[in-house]
Amino acid sequence: MKKKVLATLLATSMIAATLAGCGNSGAGETTTPDNSTTTNDNAAADNTTTDNAAADNNAASDASDPVSTLIANTTGTVSLTVWASEEDQTLTTTLIDNFKAEYADVDFDITLGSESESTAKDTILTDVEAAADVFAFADDQINELVQAGALQEVAATYTLDVANENAAGAVEAATVGGKLYAYPMTADNGYFMFYDASVFTEDDVKSLDAMLEAADAAGKKVAMDMANGWYLYAFFQGAGYDLSLNDDGSNNCTWNASGATDVAQAIMDACETGTLVQMNDEQQATAITEGTVAAAVNGTWRAETASDAWGDNYAATKLPTFTVAGNQVQMSSYSGYKLIGVNPHSANVGWAMLLAEFLTNEDSQTARFEARGLGPANIAAAASDAVQADPAIAALAEQAAYATPQRVGGNFWAPAETLGQILASGNPDGTDVQTLLDTAVEGITAPIE
Amino acid sequence: MKNFFKSIGNYFKEFGTAIAKGDIGVKLSLLIMGAGYIARKQIINGLIMIALEAVFVVMCVFYAAPNLAKFGTLGTVQFEQKFDPLTMTSTVNDYDNSFLILLNSIIALFIIVAFILVYIGNIKAVYRLQLRKEAGKHINTFREDIRSLFNEKFNITLLTLPCLGIILMNIIPILVLIAVAFTNYDQQHMPPSALFTWVGWRNFKQLFTNSTTVTFGYAFGKVLVWTLEWAFFATFTTFIGGILMAQFVNSKNTKLPRLWRTLFMVAIAVPQFVTLLLVRNFFGDSGIVNTICANIGLTDFLKGIGLVGSHLTYIPFLTNPNWTKVMIVLINIWVGVPYQMLIATGVLMNIPTDQLESARIDGANKFQIFWKITMPYILFIMGPTLVTDFVKNINNFNVIYLLTQDVYVTSNQLLANSNAKEVDLLVTWLFRLTNEYYNYKIASVIGILVFIICAAFTLITFTQMIKGNREEDFQ
Repeated sequence: MKKKVLATLLATSMIAATLAGCGNSGAGETTTPDNSTTTNDNAAADNTTTDNAAADNNAASDASDPVSTLIANTTGTVSLTVWASEEDQTLTTTLIDNFKAEYADVDFDITLGSESESTAKDTILTDVEAAADVFAFADDQINELVQAGALQEVAATYTLDVANENAAGAVEAATVGGKLYAYPMTADNGYFMFYDASVFTEDDVKSLDAMLEAADAAGKKVAMDMANGWYLYAFFQGAGYDLSLNDDGSNNCTWNASGATDVAQAIMDACETGTLVQMNDEQQATAITEGTVAAAVNGTWRAETASDAWGDNYAATKLPTFTVAGNQVQMSSYSGYKLIGVNPHSANVGWAMLLAEFLTNEDSQTARFEARGLGPANIAAAASDAVQADPAIAALAEQAAYATPQRVGGNFWAPAETLGQILASGNPDGTDVQTLLDTAVEGITAPIE
Repeated sequence: MKNFFKSIGNYFKEFGTAIAKGDIGVKLSLLIMGAGYIARKQIINGLIMIALEAVFVVMCVFYAAPNLAKFGTLGTVQFEQKFDPLTMTSTVNDYDNSFLILLNSIIALFIIVAFILVYIGNIKAVYRLQLRKEAGKHINTFREDIRSLFNEKFNITLLTLPCLGIILMNIIPILVLIAVAFTNYDQQHMPPSALFTWVGWRNFKQLFTNSTTVTFGYAFGKVLVWTLEWAFFATFTTFIGGILMAQFVNSKNTKLPRLWRTLFMVAIAVPQFVTLLLVRNFFGDSGIVNTICANIGLTDFLKGIGLVGSHLTYIPFLTNPNWTKVMIVLINIWVGVPYQMLIATGVLMNIPTDQLESARIDGANKFQIFWKITMPYILFIMGPTLVTDFVKNINNFNVIYLLTQDVYVTSNQLLANSNAKEVDLLVTWLFRLTNEYYNYKIASVIGILVFIICAAFTLITFTQMIKGNREEDFQ
């Protein structure tokens, strides 16, 4: 701890020194430009787009191009730590090498650590100051990370126009309170439906009822993890009942509003058939391999299992509609993105931001798709034929119209999990459905002090 | 108790006498700690004391004072950072880190208390030197002092390191934990970006009150009851199982006793982490045990007698609260019996054979011998381990967590609203509150309560056990 304080002090004094150095050259006096006038051009490109800054002051040319200023101001080795998932290690190593080659004048010492995107938050929040400078994480963690001050605001971009080069949904997912906090990396972390085309026709998969009939006829099951708030959301949001996050970290939830019991009843009815089964991810993997499950609502991570098991019959599409009080309602879903964030406590914030930009630019996203089949968030990279031909990515794109980014506070998960469990098992205690929903909503919306 | 207060009284009385009757050297020591030694020509001792005092003063000014000044509020300056897009660097204000303030303040308070003790001890020591001088006795040189640390005072030398270790590794973290229970340290108030502050007894009140939205009180009661039930069953099943196994393995009629003993040891040799996760999969809803049960018709039979819900196609070994509780205790028998067997084997080998012999001559059968002689003897010897086992089981994290994490979903909505499950022990609940929900404040309160429960139980049972002369009862 002590050391860290010292390190922070040192870093602060170094930054102060750098600022003082700039002051001498006259650039320090310039007013900070607004976010709107930030420079978006490649460092290597000419600096014509930075006229704004140049026009405001007649400073030396190095002041108008932040990247070359940064290179000029960098002395000694730049140490950075990067966290990427276990599966991404090889690719990230290559990309880091390319990054070093791009800025060959600077001496880098970049350490690559392994940290799954899904658990990044847990490790980072344990000690923000000790976390990596650049890290990959799933977009559902962004609120908590921002709240804990673990994400550097993307106040300016340099080599990549993050907001315009990436899909709107991805940018929205990386934005909190109107401010951009992360760099979109992939756009395939949500859920969709994949099925065995030998069991279901393309018409069957449009509605849950038809699917259950077809599955029942073939003696197969349809799997979904209702006892998990993440998937349970698909039903309630689809039927128009809100779940959103308040500024203080508590939730706003209308799952007990009038008519919501119909949604709960619809879930119970579907499970009652015995054809829609509640299975978690692990159980689905087994069941798909064994052949008992012929369709599942899950993500790309499990689609691979299905595509191995079903071969050419593997198909994917958006989530089906389900029946609420006699009407067909389209299931919603959480869209999922993997993002790259920069730690504000980094000693080399500038370089960390450049590296994050590099790791998420079009070329890197294309490389990531080619190496690992991960769907790009970058519009140009996603437009390629190879990406378009991927069934999972196409299904996600189809579902995107009904998907929303995940904005929910920590109090949601446990009550929703229990609600889902009770509904999936057909409400064994026979509690009044409205009471069930009321209690769940009380837990979900519990105030945070 | 009386002795305790008396010794404290004596401690300060001696200090008073030393100041009152001390000569100029002793009195000067009140200001300059080394003076008394130097007056007796113990120059090096004197210099060490002066150096110690100087270090302490420096510590107070540069470390204790700034931290303790903020101890009352735990900091007021919020972390702020400004990024300059032109230079691509950010400036950070001189912010307060509540946790560091808390930690450093506690360390500083600790050092101050330690210094006061040294200070008082120093006055007494130099007064003792004065008395020796007046009585014309020999006064040690520095070298003799050092040598005495390796001879008659060797215990002090040996105990210094462990004591330092306990203070650093146990006492200070515990004090920090206790302090956190009185703050609002949670996910909304996480340093370094946010500050946390004192909230008094609010967290304790929260844990013992129950409202429609805050169900911590309800969950605490439920979890506490199950924790005690679990500790009771886990302790006694493994204890009795262990003794019986030891008895069987040691029986004269058992062939190849060593083989059996070794086989049981294998269960210890494999890490629990591995076995429990495997067992969890075996007993999963679509696990191998359920497949077998379904094939031999056991699932349908249990359905018929109502032990398994009619809508289920499997036995909910680890997904239904009652089934899970029973399964956990059963699986724990399998994990815990070998340990108890090892201990019981040792005890059984030490039973005085003359007693067994005479009982046999008097015509007692094996069963009578076991209940009248072996059991009382084992209970007498193993009583203290039973108590420690009970306390250990209250905190038995491994079995419960590894068997139920990611598998067990509670269907009790009130428990779910407090992030608890029916099968949670206090310690697993505490773990998930800190690890998954960063609710350090409530977790600290639970930690303190677990500590109080364990300490009270241990103290009461141990005093009961030591009371009276039990050894004669046994004879």
